[in-house]
Amino acid sequence: MLICPPIGHEYVNCHRALRQLAVRLAEAGFPVLRFDYYGCGDSAGVSEEGRVSRWLEDISTAILDLRQRTGLAQTCVVGLRLGGALSAMIGSQRDDVESLVLWDPVVNGKSYLENLLSLQKEMLRFRPKPKRKHARDHIDVLGFPLSRFLRSELEKVDLLTVAEKPAKNILLIQSHEADDQCSLHGRLSRTEARLECQRLEAPQIWLPTADGGLLVPSQVLQSVVAWIGKTHS
Amino acid sequence: MKNVVTNEVTKEEAVLFGERKSLVGVVTDPMRVTGNPRAAVLLLNPGIVHRVGPGRIYVKIARALAAMGFVVLRFDFSGIGDSTVRHDNLCFEKSAVRETQEAMEFLKRSRGVEHFILVGGCSGALISLETACCDEQVLGAVLINYPATEDEDEDANTDLKRRRAAHYYWNFALFNLKSWRKLFTGRANYRQLTQVLRLQVKRRFASRSTMPAKETSFAANLRALAQRDVRLTFLCSQGDPLLDELQEAGGDELQRSCALGKVTLDVIPRSDHTFSSLDDHDRLLDVILRRISAMRLPGHGTADSSELVFPAEAVPLDNSAVGL
Repeated sequence: MLICPPIGHEYVNCHRALRQLAVRLAEAGFPVLRFDYYGCGDSAGVSEEGRVSRWLEDISTAILDLRQRTGLAQTCVVGLRLGGALSAMIGSQRDDVESLVLWDPVVNGKSYLENLLSLQKEMLRFRPKPKRKHARDHIDVLGFPLSRFLRSELEKVDLLTVAEKPAKNILLIQSHEADDQCSLHGRLSRTEARLECQRLEAPQIWLPTADGGLLVPSQVLQSVVAWIGKTHS
Repeated sequence: MKNVVTNEVTKEEAVLFGERKSLVGVVTDPMRVTGNPRAAVLLLNPGIVHRVGPGRIYVKIARALAAMGFVVLRFDFSGIGDSTVRHDNLCFEKSAVRETQEAMEFLKRSRGVEHFILVGGCSGALISLETACCDEQVLGAVLINYPATEDEDEDANTDLKRRRAAHYYWNFALFNLKSWRKLFTGRANYRQLTQVLRLQVKRRFASRSTMPAKETSFAANLRALAQRDVRLTFLCSQGDPLLDELQEAGGDELQRSCALGKVTLDVIPRSDHTFSSLDDHDRLLDVILRRISAMRLPGHGTADSSELVFPAEAVPLDNSAVGL
């Protein structure tokens, strides 16, 4: 199993839940690899260097590493938010992704960027406005830089245009109402993939909480582990 | 994938340590060290955020300090981030201090370092101070948004709520045109304003003897650490009500220690509790680097006195993702 995290503040907010997921999958008998993309978390690189193209390469590297470590040919990828979009993009480029869990994936990069910017605007309402010493060529979203290049790459992300089926088996988890998630469901159901969609009442754990708490949505984790167990039994 | 990532200035290694090898951390080493090893810096979890810190600021701090020649360890306490939960009954305040000491022991064995500087935000600041009090290997600490009062439920504590409202009025609303417009157009919360003003008057004239026991022990800790010549830096966000609470809890002792140069109190302007903008990061990093550089090693002058001088900014590393 490979777990692909979100980026930026969403990565920090989801770390706890994704670790719990890894522990539960390991307890169910699956080897799991969690990793950080280049310029994210513990990995090399500064945040300003984040690139979609590099992160896609990182996922391929991680799949290769996982296969070498486990000796297993089948790979299952779990992707949350942008990690979901990236894993679907990688899955459609290769034929060895057996199963794919898309947990509230980013469907459209433009909307994703708009949401990030409005979240940043909302946060600034409750804190003193930062005083810029010098102009930056990147946008600040809650302490994470979005470079011009990264923004242009993100704008091109659109899962509705992914041509090939990203995996043989797909679980789409939706924990909140969103039009683009419904469109994605429609798009994926027209591929040859075996698709299951689950609508679960769960918090949007990637969003900052008022008390700074990090949420672990138990029902989502249970569903993912159960589906992977069923699919790979 | 590998657990060591290097560039020309720093080297990062994922490590497991502690009594049960259950604590996960990343050591950032300088690539070249001349002479005796300097003090090592430990970065302690801010609340329950894992070892990268909010906005990945701990990674920036670790790399910048390593570029100056310090060994830096950022790690997760039990039950936070990637470290497994403890199975004893030790409360967090005690287990975290013990685990910080285990981290120091690990660096002592693996890197030969004998003196330590602790850096922590929020609860990490609390643990830093507690550890400094009980371990003589600690020569200094940088305490970011130190929570000097009990972590109370704001909804249930009207006094705390009013203190926080007062902080907002004095620091922000007073200078905000929109707030004044609200005041003069009848849209302000006049009841709350009156309560806050009453609280300010009460606080000004209240006797210090009425301070809670915890606050008195905080001042006593400051005194004890000053006698041991442990250098403390309190770093506070201007936008954080904890600043007022710190000054109130530290009272005369804090003022005296600041006057003697044993303690410094730096306020990072226009920042919030988690330093959630890149400009906050720059300001925070700048102060941390300056304060840690100025901390003296026993018998070695200041901590940055060796001939190695590296640029004090995060440097790009060459390759590879770190997996766990």
